[in-house]
Amino acid sequence: MNDCSVIIVFDGNGRTYRPGEELSGEYRLETAAPGEIKAVEVSVLWHSEGKGDEDLAVHEFWRFSTEDGDWIDPGRPARFSTVLPNSPMSYDGLIVKILWCVRVRVFFHRGKDVVAQKPFQLGAVPAIEV
Amino acid sequence: MARTFRYYGKKRGNRRTGSSTLGSAGELLFYAAFLLAGCGGLVALFAFLVIPEWRVNNEFVKHSCVVIEKRIGETKDEDDTLYRPEFHIKYEVEGVSYLVWTFDIRMAYSGGRENVQEILSRFSETTDPERPIEYPCWYDPANPESVVLVRRSSWWIWLIFIVPASFILIGGGGLIYRVLHWGKSAERSAAMAQRAARRDPFELNGPSGPEFPHVPGGGDITNSPGTTLKFRLPIGTSPGWALFGTLVACVLWNGIVSVFVVIAVGSFVDGDPDWFLTLFIVPFLAVGIVLIVVLVRLLLVTTGIGPTMVEISDHPLVPGAEYRFFVSQTGRLQVNVLTVSLVCEEEATYRQGTDTRTETRRAYREEVYRREGFEVHRGLPFETECELSVPAGAMHSFKADHNEIRWKLVVEGDIAGWPDFKRDFPVIIRPRDGGSSQ
Repeated sequence: MNDCSVIIVFDGNGRTYRPGEELSGEYRLETAAPGEIKAVEVSVLWHSEGKGDEDLAVHEFWRFSTEDGDWIDPGRPARFSTVLPNSPMSYDGLIVKILWCVRVRVFFHRGKDVVAQKPFQLGAVPAIEV
Repeated sequence: MARTFRYYGKKRGNRRTGSSTLGSAGELLFYAAFLLAGCGGLVALFAFLVIPEWRVNNEFVKHSCVVIEKRIGETKDEDDTLYRPEFHIKYEVEGVSYLVWTFDIRMAYSGGRENVQEILSRFSETTDPERPIEYPCWYDPANPESVVLVRRSSWWIWLIFIVPASFILIGGGGLIYRVLHWGKSAERSAAMAQRAARRDPFELNGPSGPEFPHVPGGGDITNSPGTTLKFRLPIGTSPGWALFGTLVACVLWNGIVSVFVVIAVGSFVDGDPDWFLTLFIVPFLAVGIVLIVVLVRLLLVTTGIGPTMVEISDHPLVPGAEYRFFVSQTGRLQVNVLTVSLVCEEEATYRQGTDTRTETRRAYREEVYRREGFEVHRGLPFETECELSVPAGAMHSFKADHNEIRWKLVVEGDIAGWPDFKRDFPVIIRPRDGGSSQ
């Protein structure tokens, strides 16, 4: 079992973004030794929650793999940046919820992958009052 | 947080989780079994049907023979007896004489003794060796003992190929999909699927345009110009289709239930009441009566209340903007109340066991027009034009595989002497350009 942890930080400590705005930040892997990591995937995505089965769509996806010749230095923060789409906006409804996040998934040569995610709000649609 | 291999299922809120590795392995095995079965079937079809027939037609050597004896071969197949023609023929190849029971290359049994008898009658046995009755036959040059009296080209063989071909397509397609996604994260799989979908030319006109992902395009809403305002909105569910669907359900349900009702009533008439059947069919009969009531109500609404027409000044709508809409109601009606509402509904689809269920909840409703106590005369439709404000904080329309947020204008009427009616006119609300909903 890997005891690596992933820290994700948004620039300006942002939490709410408007469509078309740039989302940027960095992530770093803590307590992971160099050479242990096989690949890192960074995704800016939305997924649904609520009564229905989960829908998931990736807005931006990066994969860095040592097998592809990428150099992964766990001690060094890595940056990401993307221009957010016009939709779908974050939504907190009665049986449908749309949640945006930046998700970092770390694959190791041995052991299970480690996942961390940091949510953010796209748009400013007020929550539905029950 | 590290994830460990989990082979059991676990319920979390509304969702059941389980081992994705085990699930993928199971799917992989399932598709592999399908593919193997398809390939096996294909090989068997070629080996036992196609190749022998092709060899008879292309490689077997034409020769002559005499029929020594003929008979009807029989075999038992569960309940039926199957038959085939069998001919004992004599022929000579390179000085070697052969005596073989044969007919065609498949020597298959089939039903219908008369057909087989008719085939037998086409060939006469040679009873006098001095006056042989010769028939053409075809033998395998590699094995002269393999011989046929008739050659065939069975076109229907190719129809059977549909079965293994569908197994191969399902199994192969599923296997390729599973192998491509094996060991890949949900995000990577989603990214690959989205890239593949973008390459699909048909997707360009699909529900999601690239500018507003997962917002339905609404092309079917703006393809009909209005007479008073810019667009005439299509009705959500045509009353005619709703009536037809209810009629079919009503006839099927009550048709089946009536069989049991007749049996139950018959038992009473015969003086031997079947109380168990009678009590058993009561709830089914009640459902049938409800269906009849719904059908009559729909019939009255569809035929008695004229068409409703809604037009709008622009489309798609955006939050915070104002529009004009026009409503026209025909018929000969004494209207108690007529309302028009802007409604937002959430729809979630989920699997429960082997069932797929859909749940709909109303998230927003605002009455945008109301009028009470007026008459609509035949040939003189009621018409009104009024304002529609889309709330500034409204969520935009959204459509994904299992979740949907949809907006519509709902016209509801309370008509004196008639059942209430409700007609939906879907609209699309798009996010504001480059900004939030507000």
